[in-house]
Amino acid sequence: MSTKRKLLVVLAIYVVGFIVIVALTGTHGTRNEAFKPQNEFKLDTWVNLGIFSINKAVMYLVIAAVLTSASMIYIARRMHQRPNRVQTAVEVVYQLMRENIAGGNMSQQMAARWFPFIGALFLFILFSNLIGYIPLPTNTEHEITIFGAHIPSFSLYAATANLSIPLVLALVVFFSFTFEGIRAKGPIGYLKGLVPGGVTGGMAVAIFFLEVLSNLMRILSLTIRLFANILAGHLIILFMGGALAVLLGIAALGWFTIPFAVLLFAFEVALVAALQAFIFATLTAIYLGGAVAEDH
Amino acid sequence: MHIALITVFAVTEEIAKAGKSIGLGVGGGLGAVGAGVGIGIIFGKVIEAVTRQPEMRDEITQIQWLGFALTEACFFYGLVAGLLAAFIV
Repeated sequence: MSTKRKLLVVLAIYVVGFIVIVALTGTHGTRNEAFKPQNEFKLDTWVNLGIFSINKAVMYLVIAAVLTSASMIYIARRMHQRPNRVQTAVEVVYQLMRENIAGGNMSQQMAARWFPFIGALFLFILFSNLIGYIPLPTNTEHEITIFGAHIPSFSLYAATANLSIPLVLALVVFFSFTFEGIRAKGPIGYLKGLVPGGVTGGMAVAIFFLEVLSNLMRILSLTIRLFANILAGHLIILFMGGALAVLLGIAALGWFTIPFAVLLFAFEVALVAALQAFIFATLTAIYLGGAVAEDH
Repeated sequence: MHIALITVFAVTEEIAKAGKSIGLGVGGGLGAVGAGVGIGIIFGKVIEAVTRQPEMRDEITQIQWLGFALTEACFFYGLVAGLLAAFIV
């Protein structure tokens, strides 16, 4: 069968299935009050250790950290003269981080000094975004019982879909570039450097406060960009993948939205996960480079 | 409680609910409008630039994704504000 025929068959199955389900169940449903979609993002404490309690987000964080360091160290240890496919892929990523992200936005010396930080940031965010799209048995609210064993149901969650983790990363970035700027120019010099050259008098004072404010807003924008992108991605996959149908109690709606869930899932995995890591790392490099640059 | 007072409370509750819904709609909807226009401009300009100078394609593509993500984030600022209005305030 040609590709066109296959597509037509799939489309026909989709339309016929939709009509059959509408005919069987109708288009009206009762609203499901018991199902709370926001509980997908609720963090239940699993092991209580005070403020170091372990929950879903902590588990994802640890998995991402271990995966980042273990995979990279493993690949670096067994580098071959003739690279295999995995090594080639990692080398492409390394090239991207080294030449484009770090090298393209900072001077040679700065890039050499801060490349490990930016590379680690990029890979960590990339890994925590990507493992967020693998269903893991983490949902302790709805448990499946198989032969007496309680198994948490599979669900999607990402550490970066929780506000606190992007916030901590953004704070680390903020302190890094402030520290680097103060080290390069001294405290007074750094504050003076915030005002663009050639501006004097009352205007300089106003611009100084604006620049301080915009520096602080960088924390907010870095945090919300990463957090909201991943959260919105998960939410829309959740709703398209069936939550909307369950919430409204209309079976036909679930059949109708499933293709969109698949498409959005592919979009999120293929583009958004890597793009957000790339943006975070690039902006970090731009901020670090800007903090030590001579003229603003 | 007096019947009229109960009605007043119910009406204010309804109005508050309506306001929250409007907040979510305006935050999400207008945010999407702005980001949509911005993303359209970015990709349009990229097509223009690449057709003029095809040899610059790789560099342009890199800047394009940076601009895309920065613009797209503006939609999420609106959405987050809308969600705050609807569920937290």
